[in-house]
Amino acid sequence: MSARGVVLAGVGGQGVVLASAVLAEAALRSDFEVKQSEVHGMAQRGGAVVSHIRYGETVASPVVPLASADVLAAFEWAEALRWMPYLAPRGALVVDARRIVPPGACKDHRTWGVPYPAMDTATVAHRVADVLLIDASGIAASLGNPKTANSVVMGAVSRFLDIDDVAWEKAITRFVPPGTEELNIAAFHAGQEAGSVRPEAIPDLGLDPIQQRSYRIEVDHSWCKDCGICPTVCPEFCLAMDHAHRLVVVDEAACIGCRLCEALCPDFAIRISVGDPAVVSGGAP
Amino acid sequence: MTTTAQVREHLRGWAMPHVLCPGCAHGIVGRAFLSAVDDVGIDPDQMAVVAGIGCSSRLVGYLDFCTLHATHGRAPSFAAGIKLARPELTVAVFSGDGDGLAIGGNHLIHAARRNIDLTVVLFNNEIYGMTGGQAAPTTSVGAIASTAPRGSVESPFDACKLMIGAGATFVARAAASEPYTLARIFADALDHEGLSFVEVLSDCPTYFGRYNKLGSGPEMLAAITRSDNRIAIPLAGKRSIPTIDPPDLPPGVELGTLHREHRPVFTGRAGGAT
Repeated sequence: MSARGVVLAGVGGQGVVLASAVLAEAALRSDFEVKQSEVHGMAQRGGAVVSHIRYGETVASPVVPLASADVLAAFEWAEALRWMPYLAPRGALVVDARRIVPPGACKDHRTWGVPYPAMDTATVAHRVADVLLIDASGIAASLGNPKTANSVVMGAVSRFLDIDDVAWEKAITRFVPPGTEELNIAAFHAGQEAGSVRPEAIPDLGLDPIQQRSYRIEVDHSWCKDCGICPTVCPEFCLAMDHAHRLVVVDEAACIGCRLCEALCPDFAIRISVGDPAVVSGGAP
Repeated sequence: MTTTAQVREHLRGWAMPHVLCPGCAHGIVGRAFLSAVDDVGIDPDQMAVVAGIGCSSRLVGYLDFCTLHATHGRAPSFAAGIKLARPELTVAVFSGDGDGLAIGGNHLIHAARRNIDLTVVLFNNEIYGMTGGQAAPTTSVGAIASTAPRGSVESPFDACKLMIGAGATFVARAAASEPYTLARIFADALDHEGLSFVEVLSDCPTYFGRYNKLGSGPEMLAAITRSDNRIAIPLAGKRSIPTIDPPDLPPGVELGTLHREHRPVFTGRAGGAT
């Protein structure tokens, strides 16, 4: 048997690395040779985390080559799309149907609007043999602990791998935090039974409505000497010098209230104040 | 950092706008100082600021505290007198590199030697701004000034080392381009019991910037942060990493709190209440 490849992808804090340790241990207990390699990205909550696991009779490299993963398991929809190139053309895709917006994806500091990709299995279905969009977070929560969502995902993954349940359960018992073994094993079995869901049935966990702040930029022109410092320090280009080298507020709506211009105004001429807040929805899609 | 509205509470609004040139960072320093006064929670009526002569010293005229515009270079001595007579006041000195290090050098070092409980802010723009751009004791070797048309040939003072040597018990250096750090350091300096000395790297676009082709306010402020071509580079006490920094890059200047110790203050020894 040639080596099988599994790619696990998620966001920091979801337990991707723990899940990959469980899979590697389960494969070891099934007398396979296993190699595992993980990239934490920014190894903190919110950063992209991916782990490669390869197992088989013999395994040379720990890295799954592009377009050769038998299973891509994503703990979040955008991460599924991000790592799709690793999935073999006839591979299986397991996705937890939830959305976590990476902080870096926020294109607008005021509305937190994001170009988050629509959760639609049709966008990937033509590329893979099986798409399993499961409500792992919802299942885990209903079992009593939403943190076991990674075990639910691994249960779903196990359907596509030749590792028996005993090895999985021993591996789970070894790695999960003491006291949560039974819960995680139950979550694992729930994942084995989980059916595909329709994305619209999943409650939107990621993006709460937020208050949009607005700021007012007041320039006291009788104090301002048009020195030109504030336009150079404004990160949102709200301020500019006109053709006569006079300070003008060109885009008050873009102000994020950082108040750098205030702090660096030698003439005490700029005042930033908070305007009326407005509730906006969390953007996308 | 307090808001402009809060900071303006401490300004004599009727005197504003101030006389300082466009792009002169002294105003930023003044603002950070006012912010620190608020942060430390000093009653404005219990705050005295003394200044000598120079652009930096003009700033105190706009501060709504007990202020004294004293004779050239003698601000630390006037301040010492205030502290001895009224030890309950918080006393600060605003001084420039010319006022504090040239004509007032002796007054400054003896205030440090005696560890009088003052906060001395030294605005270093490497030049005499008010009087027409003459070379100062802090002017870098090679820098153009009206009295050094082919570049200064004298070694500049490292004001912080000077003050550590003289016995100041809190010595820090900060940059006008970093107002938040500056305000934090001012707050620490105001809190410190004993002579606190804060050298602030400021700019003078009108003379130093123009003579040395360093641009105007925004460029000079950015240069302080970037640390290349910055004013005050040839101050001693520089730090560079020869294996990493390219050899032609001027070494950076040490910023931050450089020295801190506890020593009995003069006012206490002289029988004052502090």
